[in-house]
Amino acid sequence: MIEHSPLHDLHQQLGGRFTDFGGWEMPLQYSGTLTEHAAVRTSAGLFDVSHLGRFSLAGPGAHEIVSRVLCNDIDEISPGRAQYSMMLTQDGGVIDDVIVWWLEDESFVILPNGVNQDAVLARFGDAAGTSAVTADLRSHTALLAVQGPDAPGILDRVVGSHPGRFRVVPGEWRGVTMTAAGTGYTGERGAEIMIDSALAPDLFAALIDAGAVPCGLGARDTLRLEMGYLLWGQDLDEATTPLEANHEWVVGWHHDFIGKEALEAQRAAGVERTLIGFAFEERRVPRHGYRLRCGPGSGSVTSGNFSPTLGVGIGMGYVSPNPGEASTAAVEVRGEWLEARRVHPPFVER
Amino acid sequence: MTVAPDDRRYTDQHEWARLEEGRLRIGITDYAQEALGDVVFIELPEPGAHVEAGATVAEVESTKSLAEVYAPCSGTIVEVNRGLVDAPERINTDPYGEGWFLLLEPDDPGSYGLLLDAAAYDAIST
Repeated sequence: MIEHSPLHDLHQQLGGRFTDFGGWEMPLQYSGTLTEHAAVRTSAGLFDVSHLGRFSLAGPGAHEIVSRVLCNDIDEISPGRAQYSMMLTQDGGVIDDVIVWWLEDESFVILPNGVNQDAVLARFGDAAGTSAVTADLRSHTALLAVQGPDAPGILDRVVGSHPGRFRVVPGEWRGVTMTAAGTGYTGERGAEIMIDSALAPDLFAALIDAGAVPCGLGARDTLRLEMGYLLWGQDLDEATTPLEANHEWVVGWHHDFIGKEALEAQRAAGVERTLIGFAFEERRVPRHGYRLRCGPGSGSVTSGNFSPTLGVGIGMGYVSPNPGEASTAAVEVRGEWLEARRVHPPFVER
Repeated sequence: MTVAPDDRRYTDQHEWARLEEGRLRIGITDYAQEALGDVVFIELPEPGAHVEAGATVAEVESTKSLAEVYAPCSGTIVEVNRGLVDAPERINTDPYGEGWFLLLEPDDPGSYGLLLDAAAYDAIST
């Protein structure tokens, strides 16, 4: 069954062109991916990301559950802040990468990838037992992202304020409660806003009126790739650890979490398979599944596309054995090995 | 939904060909560029190459996907639109004009007449 965002009718009126995103029919683009990408980098773009997962976790013990089930250390932040984290298997593999909004002492919103909502919600539900309670939020809310250098000003004009980076701020728009977090998937300033489905189209339209350019998920993908942000299902999966993904910064070693022993063992032994970034010197586009080499390592591209900011093809992928300090890479594009420069993401500094 | 210009002919693979003094100017249709999305890379053949009808003569990469462009007729490539290499967006902005790909000298002057006319192409692309 195909799901639709509460904003679907508005997207059709805006000329959106749709694609299937994990069972959700969502806008891939409106005016065009390059135009929309540029809007986010230079002014402000507006995304409907209502397909993303979201649920609440609240009640006695909620904090302890978050600390145990996710590998980042929640105590590095405090209520009113957001954190990027991962849910791991006992073997250290990534079940999902998530954003956590810490609302109050024992009250959280967890935002998994859309396709992982049920799996992540189930694991939290199992861990919660009888004290803390999980509740789906996706069925009756929309999630919007306003991103770009002009996003804070647009938010000030439309909703009266904007959250600082990684701040989570409860608010109200036209008498209805909403939550705004200073997070996103583009590298730019701005916010992700969760609001009741019924009011979401009006808010989306008001943000466009204030100058935000509607953007599809095509631009969201080129924007996140330029920042080296991982996409679960392509760059992350249960067979991959955060250490292999070059995301040790997401691992809070000073607390206990599921998968910690496996990561400690891998850290001690050294990481054999590792994620690398690379950039072509030309416009050619590397794509998921293309063969990849770097130093003694070989593997395949997990994410690749054209970088509108740099004007060349960029990508990421896993190689094994670990290529160490190798400074070049090569990608097989339609039977021909193309030289690439190795890049330690982000590809674009913000 | 656009209507294909009737000063040229088409293939069911969404290429167009326009007869110019016995040669065929070739590009991709508005429908094709819409489906591709923003074009960011093009690889063109070398002038002088001989190609068979249906053979790949160019590769086009968009932010969405990679597509091959096929020769509508057998013939010899006499010129390619080098300007597209640094400005592939012309394929999106002007697919029937500045976004042309190449000029082909057909082996058989009659092969052009076997391509789809605009009405037939519209019937399969709209």
